[in-house]
This record gives sequence, C-alpha cells and structure tokens, in this order.
Amino acid sequence: MSKIPDNLSYTKDHEWMLIDDDGKVRIGITDHAQEALSDVVFVELPEVGSKFSEGDSMAVAESVKAASDIFAPVSGEIVEVNDKLEESPELINESPYEFGWMVVMAPDKKLENNLDSESYRKLID
Amino acid sequence: MSLRRTPLSNHHKELGAKMVDFAGWEMPIQYSSIISEHKSVRDVAGVFDVSHMGQIFVKGPDTVKFLSYITTWNMERQSDGDCRYCHILNEKGHIIDDTIVYTINANEYLLIPNASKITEIMNWLLSNSNDFNVIIEDLSDVYFCLALQGPEAPRLLGQHLNTSVNSFQLKTLDDVIISGTGYTGELGCEIIGPLDKIEFHWEALVDMGAIPVGLGARDTLRLEKGYLLSGQDFKGEETTLETNYAWVIDWDHEFIGYEALMSQKQSKYSKLSGILLEDRGVLRPGCPVYYNNNKISDLTSGSLSPTLRKGIGLAYIDLDIDSKITVEVRGKHLNGRVVRTPFL
Repeated sequence: MSKIPDNLSYTKDHEWMLIDDDGKVRIGITDHAQEALSDVVFVELPEVGSKFSEGDSMAVAESVKAASDIFAPVSGEIVEVNDKLEESPELINESPYEFGWMVVMAPDKKLENNLDSESYRKLID
Repeated sequence: MSLRRTPLSNHHKELGAKMVDFAGWEMPIQYSSIISEHKSVRDVAGVFDVSHMGQIFVKGPDTVKFLSYITTWNMERQSDGDCRYCHILNEKGHIIDDTIVYTINANEYLLIPNASKITEIMNWLLSNSNDFNVIIEDLSDVYFCLALQGPEAPRLLGQHLNTSVNSFQLKTLDDVIISGTGYTGELGCEIIGPLDKIEFHWEALVDMGAIPVGLGARDTLRLEKGYLLSGQDFKGEETTLETNYAWVIDWDHEFIGYEALMSQKQSKYSKLSGILLEDRGVLRPGCPVYYNNNKISDLTSGSLSPTLRKGIGLAYIDLDIDSKITVEVRGKHLNGRVVRTPFL
C-alpha cells in the first residue's frame, strides 16, 4: 500500500506539499504517483525565480514509457529546486517524500482546496 | 473484442505485472521496473513470455524454393538447424514483416512473424504459393514462445534441459524447438513448443533465477542494439535498404521485391540511423528531427538507454555519421548527433 504521511497536504494530481513555518511550500509527487509512473529517468525542473499560476505545468517527470506534467498546486514563485534530481532522478522513486522533493514555491496566497492524508487515501483507494 | 491471453496470464499478474494491450494480446509491460528488468538481462538472465509471436510452418518438397522467393534470403544457403533473420517484402520492396526463418530440415521450415502481422503474412504466403508444392500451417494459437536472454542464459538452459545451442542454430528436443536467437543482443535462446508445456518451462526457469521481463524492457533492450520494431520502425512503406539492413539480402537469388531494391540501390535514399542525445532527455517515437534548423524527419523509435543513461532513437535521414542534429522534445530542441547502431 502507498505511503501517505499525515503531516503533508495533497492534490488531486498526486502531488504532496509541505508547508514550512515561513509559508513556503515544498512540493513533490506522492508514493502512489511514483509507483504509477515507475522508474523516473529524467526530470525537467523550472528555473529558480520563474512564476507559475495554479494549475500550470511547472515541471516534467519522465519514465521510460511516459512523460508526466507536474502542476503548480498554487500560484507563486519558484525559490528552490532539487538539483540532485538531474543526476539522480531515481530519488523520486526511492524517496518520494524526502530526497525526491522537486521544488519549493513562495505562494502568492494561502493554500486552499488541498486534501489531507485521509481524503487523499480515499481518492486513490 | 476482449484481449487474448497467454496461459501465463495469472502467473504474470501474481508477479505484480502491469498488463497492457499489445497487438490484441494482454501482455506484461513490466513486473517490477523497466530499468531493473533491463539490467537483469544485460547482467544476469531474464525470461520473457513472447507467446504472442507467430509460428507458421512451411512444409513440402518446394519449401526451400518457396521461402527463397518469399524472403530476402536464399534458403539454398541454409543447412539443417540454421536460423536466419530476413525480411518479407511486397513487389515494391516494402517490408511486410521481418522474421527469423528456422531450417528444421529441407522440407520443413518455421517462420516467426510478429503478433500483429500473422494474418497478413499467412495471406501473403498463401496467395504467393500457387506455383509451389508446399503446405503452409499457422500454428500460432497452439505454440508458446519463451525467450531466455542474458549472460547467464546458457547456464540456465543447461540446468533446465541439459542442452546448449549455438547462436542462430536450433535444436529439437522432444516436442520443443530451442534456438540461439532473441531480441536483446545478449546470449540466450528462445524455446518454442506446444502451449500446454509453457508453464513447465516458465516455472522451471523462474525457479532457477531467471528474472521475468516485460515488453517495456524488451523494447529498450532491442533499441540499444538497433533492432527494428515491426509496425513502428517499418509500417508498410519502407524497404530493407532504407532500414539499413542490406545484410539480410542475398542479391544472388530472385525474390519478391528484388527489382524494386535493385533500382533503389542505384539511387539516393534516406536510411534508418541512430540518434544519440548529448543533452539530457528522453526521446519518444514521433519527435521531430532537425538539421540546420530544418525539419528533416521524425523519430520512429525513441527512449532512454538504461545502459548509457542517454536518450536514443532511430530516424530515416540522409546524413553522415556524427552530423549534429537537434530533436524537438515537448517544444525544446535537444542537441544530438547521428551515430551508427548498435548504440552498444
């Protein structure tokens, strides 16, 4: 069964969000998403400083078979990206909630409409 | 229409396989991961259920003459037990399908067409056989095929059946045919036999440590070696010369498509060439290829080589080896160059 940590927020697009004390949001894809995608072999990350509106495609995770868009869960600016994924995209499979994080965003507004772990589990069950 | 299943369908699902529709068959695309299955074949040994592949037997006194006429290869040059990769062409020289031809003996041959081409090849053989004393039988529905591939495959075959086969040679052992063939570029064999024996062979090989491998890794393994995928690298309009497989042609015999190939031989034409990405990225079939900012082709195959960890692909182009090209992937131009296949 997929891991769904309680301390994170989730989107219907199978992304997780960790909201830092300063309001910044760390974003990655869920365990369920990495299982469905299988081996991630390439990750295209946005530039630090680039801005996205909620729902924009901001990154791409590619497996051998398919490319999947990663959508901005909130409008805002990219303040940090996980450069390690360039050399080691498999971190997304091995550690989706920790070493496989993708970007940190400074959101324009407070997060809304996201799911808690229980609601996300219902979504994927 | 529901998908056809091999007798191993439940085995595949119990092993956690993701099943997909492939040429009307429900087949495993991967069990654990394409990358790890790919590496198992390159480093140890993998076993593939490829029972969707066809088995067409041709028998009778004119078998050698008939198959020489039908294929790019001259079967007079085959000895008993020889296997030969060749193409079946139409009058225009266009590839209908590629196949390995098995010489069981001078009066009995076996062809292994691709799953999606069995009916077309059967019809083609029948409609061109009027002048030949042959019997053509499609036994695809009652035969299985397992591929055992990888550096450890010969050892596993020895353990399993106490036998060995040389590259591109076949042996018959009771009711199975074992051939030193495959689609991965590794040592190994394919085991072909009556469908009710498939579980015996599969379970024995898996128990001995062969790693089950799905069609996903089968594709990356064959692409690294520059092998053609029917319906993708050729789909009805391409000739053997264009696919850069001139070595499968014996020019000293008459066959369907000979005239067309002879005349093309004198002309200039694009050839299926390897594309190796220098930038990071994954290539996909259909990605446009550019040379000097002009679009020149689309990739017929594309992926990421799990071994090289680089994007690789195939495209019909007329450029020298090492020419710099770009490939457009999701709107971005990635740098690459033309290389000789195999990629490794």
